Amino acid sequence: MLERAITALHTADPGAEEPGATRARLKESFPAGASRRMTQLGMLVGTLLEALGPRPDDTVVYASRFGESRALEAYLESFPAASPTLFQTSIHPSGVQQGLIVRQRATAEVFPVAGSPAQVAQALLAAMLAPAPRALVCGGEERATWLTEHRAASARTFAFALALGSASSDDRLGRVALAPCGDTGALTLEDWFDLLHTRRGFAGAIAPGWRLTLEWS
Amino acid sequence: MPAVATPVRLSAWDCLTPLGDAAATHAALLRGEVALRPTPVLGRAGGDAVPLALLPGRALDETEPPAWHGAVRALLAPVADRPWGTARYPVCVTSSNFGVGSLYAFRHAGAADFVQHGTPHASVAAIARLCGWGENIAVFSHACVSAHLGLMLASRLIAAGAAEEVLVFTYDFLSPFVAGGFHALKILNAQMPAPYAARETGSIGLGDGAAYAVVSRAQGNFAITAQSLHNEMFHFTANQADGAGFAAALAPVAEAARGLRVWLKGHGTGTLEAGRLEAEAMQRAFPAAPLTGWKGSLGHTLGSCGLVELALVLQSLRTGRAPGTVGTVSPTFTDTVATAPFATDGFDGAVCTSNAFGGAHAALFVRHA
Repeated sequence: MLERAITALHTADPGAEEPGATRARLKESFPAGASRRMTQLGMLVGTLLEALGPRPDDTVVYASRFGESRALEAYLESFPAASPTLFQTSIHPSGVQQGLIVRQRATAEVFPVAGSPAQVAQALLAAMLAPAPRALVCGGEERATWLTEHRAASARTFAFALALGSASSDDRLGRVALAPCGDTGALTLEDWFDLLHTRRGFAGAIAPGWRLTLEWS
Repeated sequence: MPAVATPVRLSAWDCLTPLGDAAATHAALLRGEVALRPTPVLGRAGGDAVPLALLPGRALDETEPPAWHGAVRALLAPVADRPWGTARYPVCVTSSNFGVGSLYAFRHAGAADFVQHGTPHASVAAIARLCGWGENIAVFSHACVSAHLGLMLASRLIAAGAAEEVLVFTYDFLSPFVAGGFHALKILNAQMPAPYAARETGSIGLGDGAAYAVVSRAQGNFAITAQSLHNEMFHFTANQADGAGFAAALAPVAEAARGLRVWLKGHGTGTLEAGRLEAEAMQRAFPAAPLTGWKGSLGHTLGSCGLVELALVLQSLRTGRAPGTVGTVSPTFTDTVATAPFATDGFDGAVCTSNAFGGAHAALFVRHA
């Protein structure tokens, strides 16, 4: 069984807030002028991740099913004069890189996990199998416009960031464990976020052969 | 310390490029063949002619369903006998493009059917259905180091006893989306790429590519004995000027290969500043080791380049001969750049590297088991 303590957790559930309002609310969290080119998801993840105090030896795992959907929409609309800035910003894992780059936070390992039915399980596996003393697991989605209408982007904006340390950590908020099992199941990134945001426990299969236990202190 | 201390074996592997499978591509590279062809950057919509390498008969504009599905299925057929995607046989899929060509086609051609392959999860799900995989699939997307992440997680799953074997599969097929993006950045231009060449203007080419490797604890004739990652987080499209990011990724692998005779398969896209930093960092970490790269022929296969080019490294080790840096002539950034094929039987193994947006770096050491 793989087990880690949750030593810090931050979540954001901004509801229907538009990117401009998120920028106005969070711009002071970033170096002067830096938020101008950041996406809504980039600002949310960047703010939550910074609150964990990222260190060079952390492993960072970033999970997003759709990534930078507004930038993707704008980039697609920029053709035939493709925008170089939107091209960079629309590419996975820009959402986590934006905040780390504007603060020059070098990191040994970054595992950006894109969508699959086993996304949450695979993100936690990447974090728990890493040899680093601490893993930061972050992610989220941003609501888009026409991509959302075609189910190619999230209908909801949300973000999370949690720190996973040694299972014996004294300062634990909770406990997360993955154990092999004979069952199969799935847990969406949105459902995972809701568990974190409301600090609800969970026990059950979340991927073929993997059972998640999430407990709060 | 190397990031992966427990060696893993590669029990099967192959790649697909416009020049064919690993054996055919390797042979063509030894002959100095160039797959890149001047192609309108926006496909049917025209635009400047830029060097692209597309699978034979494939157009840059996406079809519905994607025309490359059949090629992917054929590539993976030799390893279709395992229950991939089940609890003990996970799959790691990596890409930087996934089905984004379908999303571009949806936006610009207007046919709603394209959306069904447009997102990463939808694109991977379609391949999983095509190949009969279960749902135990990890999907990584970290631009041009993506494939290395798949190999890294696969190695850790094996080392932890959490899997019998892991299939790492990577695919990137070009579209106006990605060609237009690199053209907008001005590094995809009318010039053919010449990796590590000291010339006036830098340029890259882009190529279709897919590859797989089966990672195992004890099966196979080749072993990955060290892997390393480093993320500079300095700038989206530039590296630290002193090459520290390259050095940080190379150091653990150099330590693992200390005292061994190695040759180097670099990232080498054809850009000037990154190419110079990379070549110099490689020479500092591995003095006198020959450095080669194949994007001057195949183009940059983006998130898949790490595994596509690893398959060609393995073919080089298997046959005893490595292709030189196709498309490049002297002067080069360092005198270690190999512009002609060379024998590999005097070496203990090869160091393979990839680099990506955001100053992401990956390196591994592979040798005969």
